[in-house]
Amino acid sequence: MTNVGGDSQLATVGGRVLKIVMIVVLVAWLLVEVYPVVFLFFTSLKTDAEILKEPFSIPRRPNLVNYFYVWFGGRAGQPFVIFVRNSFMVTSGTLLLLLAVASLAGYALARGHFPGSAVVQEAFLLSLAVPAHVLLIPVFFLMQAFGLSNNLSGMILMYTTMGLPFTVLLTRAYFLSFPVELEEAALIDGCSRLGTFWRVVVPVSRNAMMSMAIVNVSWVWSELFFALVLLNRMEARTLPLAVLAYQPQMMTGDVILGPQFAVMAITVMPLVVFYFLFQRQITKGMTMGAFR
Amino acid sequence: MDATTGVREEVPVRQGAGGPSLGRRVSKWWGRNGIWYLFLAPSVILLLTFMAYPLVNSLVLSLYKWNGLAPRKFVGLKNFERLVGDRFFWGATWHTLAFAFFVTLGTVGIGFLLAFAISRRVPGWRVFRVGYYLPVMLSLVVVGALWARIYEYNWGLLNTFLRAIGLDALALPWLADIRYALGAVIIVPIWQYAGFPMIIILAAIEGIPQDLHDAATIDGVNEWQRAWYLIVPLIRPVVISISMLQVISSLKVFDLVWVMTKGDPGNSSAVLGTFLYRQGFEMQKFGYASAVAVMMFAIVFTITYLYQRMVKIEAVEF
Repeated sequence: MTNVGGDSQLATVGGRVLKIVMIVVLVAWLLVEVYPVVFLFFTSLKTDAEILKEPFSIPRRPNLVNYFYVWFGGRAGQPFVIFVRNSFMVTSGTLLLLLAVASLAGYALARGHFPGSAVVQEAFLLSLAVPAHVLLIPVFFLMQAFGLSNNLSGMILMYTTMGLPFTVLLTRAYFLSFPVELEEAALIDGCSRLGTFWRVVVPVSRNAMMSMAIVNVSWVWSELFFALVLLNRMEARTLPLAVLAYQPQMMTGDVILGPQFAVMAITVMPLVVFYFLFQRQITKGMTMGAFR
Repeated sequence: MDATTGVREEVPVRQGAGGPSLGRRVSKWWGRNGIWYLFLAPSVILLLTFMAYPLVNSLVLSLYKWNGLAPRKFVGLKNFERLVGDRFFWGATWHTLAFAFFVTLGTVGIGFLLAFAISRRVPGWRVFRVGYYLPVMLSLVVVGALWARIYEYNWGLLNTFLRAIGLDALALPWLADIRYALGAVIIVPIWQYAGFPMIIILAAIEGIPQDLHDAATIDGVNEWQRAWYLIVPLIRPVVISISMLQVISSLKVFDLVWVMTKGDPGNSSAVLGTFLYRQGFEMQKFGYASAVAVMMFAIVFTITYLYQRMVKIEAVEF
């Protein structure tokens, strides 16, 4: 366990006190950060009576009543598996399309010296600065005109567009650092540009593609803004909308608490599992690019 | 954004001049460059359809009065005039700016302290790093709904805790009182995202070359001097750029406020995102809402553009 900086200051008496204070503060903050997440999962295993009586405790008799309630329809009137399926379809569809489209564009911007490449590059940079808010209303009417409201393909197209600018710039930066020699060999052997890209470049770039997916998976899975206006039929909705559908309505006296926790737990479970599986790649993916 | 199509027309059209025929020149030119345009085509088509066109449409729509059904009516800059006199718009603007300011201050400030502590390799630093980043992964919608239950007046965790330690007077209706709602909402992204600047700043601190540290150690500096005179100046660019990034992303806040309060009570926690949504999709004033969108666009675009001039996305390592 080496110190970054390799100093021995923490070994002195004053240093030791400082160290203890530091650890106490860090542990306290860890509780603040992690306990609410634990609370979320605990609460989803409690009945409403337990939630009200002892909100802090570990569930005494863990039961899946909330999960059964939402799984078989509950308040949403739709079997829960529909929301899960919609979210999986939209997320995987978006990631696939986004990776395909963005890596092609990023590759062209990194390798091609063609008239207009600088303009396209600048256009991608500028589109990074466009907030989703300014697109919301026109996109709502555009999707209606295309017959794509309440349609998962429409969501996939929209999310891909939103993810494009950043992902294209990242893939471009990646391909710039990619050795040209490999491709040149393939080109000399008579492979076409597309063939080179598909058979030579893509297979060796698996890690980079993975990072692109990692950077995008969380926001796509959680997107609410466009989903809220584009998906108003219950059977087309994604998980973030299901969380809203199970919001207890204090005003109307509809205060069933447990089911929403089950919905929340199901919604974040894939992300949490994903985080613990790919923790290193995720934090690395987040640090890359933007801060150099 | 029309670069690909625009460029194609630049093919020199010099008929009758000597040399190869026009057809052959075009085909040669296409043979060299065409494939790149095909590579770019899907992205450009998507951006033109779902970004450029809606953007222009928003600008146009902001000059109209429209309820979404009846024919739209041109009103010029009336929507913007009304916006300037709308105290709810200004309220939402101030709330958004306050939100961006405090969230940035909180996340970057706490993130910096955490990164610094972890970089000193205190026992258990790996656990801290993993734990602090965990909430960043969660969905904003879930975090909002979760904290709405934590803030709940009667049985919420916060008030239960306060009552348990005898601070009954502090057990307040956090989200239902116009004085506390915005502040209570602002705490939540600080809780969720403090781990993000932490990871970035930690990477920057760990990137400081070891010989600089060795030199400082030989000079006999203490911890505070090391932090203040060595680490802080070296990571300042990273801190500035992560702060800008946090400002930009918090200006776009919508989900969190929508889930927790919808901007209530009495618009006391309304931000531009929720204001726009309500004007558009609840009041059916699509022209007026587009004017709000255009104002937001102007603010966010300017700040992001300035940020891009400062930071460049270049070399990436995987």
